[in-house]
Amino acid sequence: MSTPTADLAGHTTEAEHEAHHGPTDGQFFTIFWVLVVLTALEVSTEWWDEWFGESSRKIAVPLLIFLMVVKFFLVALYFMHLKFDQPMLRRIFWFGAIVAMAVYGGTLTSMNFWEDSGTTRFNDPPPALDRPAEGGSDAAVEPGAGSGQTTADGGS
Amino acid sequence: MADVTFDELSAGELPAEAHPTATGISNEKLSMWVFLASDCLLFGGMISTYLVYKNRPGEIEGLAGSDLKVSELFDIPFTSMTSFILLMSSLTMVLSVNAIVRKDVARMRLWLVATSILGGLFLGGQVYEFTEFVNHGLGFTTNVASSAFFGLTGLHGVHVAAGVIMLLVTTGLSFRRRIHPEAVEVVGLYWHFVDIVWVLIFTVVYLIP
Repeated sequence: MSTPTADLAGHTTEAEHEAHHGPTDGQFFTIFWVLVVLTALEVSTEWWDEWFGESSRKIAVPLLIFLMVVKFFLVALYFMHLKFDQPMLRRIFWFGAIVAMAVYGGTLTSMNFWEDSGTTRFNDPPPALDRPAEGGSDAAVEPGAGSGQTTADGGS
Repeated sequence: MADVTFDELSAGELPAEAHPTATGISNEKLSMWVFLASDCLLFGGMISTYLVYKNRPGEIEGLAGSDLKVSELFDIPFTSMTSFILLMSSLTMVLSVNAIVRKDVARMRLWLVATSILGGLFLGGQVYEFTEFVNHGLGFTTNVASSAFFGLTGLHGVHVAAGVIMLLVTTGLSFRRRIHPEAVEVVGLYWHFVDIVWVLIFTVVYLIP
């Protein structure tokens, strides 16, 4: 169901015009240039190894995450008007964003992502089971054998 | 467009410009925000999938493939330029919203078209990047990492394409009927969200080693 005031064919009133609170064009330009500078700083980290040596990598990654969060908030609060809109909209958006971070943070943690050393440890198929196979031999049984399973998902 | 508080609604003291809904927010704007919140989960899943697989091309048993890493083919200066283009499109989008609030329809159209062009340029850059990757032997099915990468950035590209269509439709409609400022604002919300997602992808996928 459509609300009358949001109809494309609706017209603006003086009250609506005055009620529009948010940054001016000039303020938007300022925010834009701040975003450009932050992006330039982010991109520059790509060459920090050459300029400042390998050790700069320890600073670069936390800085990149910090700059990403700052840019995220600048766009959400000012360009998307969250700072000036009704609190309910803020709650809806932050709820989605926080749930996403929690769910996928948990998922990555459960997959040992934070301890990642580039090995296949958490995507390896489970080791062969050490139990007698059919026919009485003591050969190890491959997991999923005879059950129609494949290792296409890494055996997880 | 002023919103109305619950107390004002209960007391029946509604400002003239308030939305006649229980929340005081138009259904269109509210549904866009709910959609964007749910889209966070979609992109969160795609980004997580890429993070899990990015260092494991060709190493997972049962998923044979090339061991070529996506990150070996990144062209950071080029991707930085397309990121700048998308950032600039967010600026033109807010200028468009401000223009329609001032009832300056001509300028609103100008900024909407500018935003569409910038979105088109970003998409062109993405197509070029994908073509380069394929030319270097990295396709969608080359390995799990490339599938995750193309899935993530391709999904973002689809969002950008949908946004460009929304911008062009809004511009076209403005020639036939009067456009309500909130209609442009809702399209803008979607566009800025696409920009926000790219802010995350650019850092997490391209810049963090």
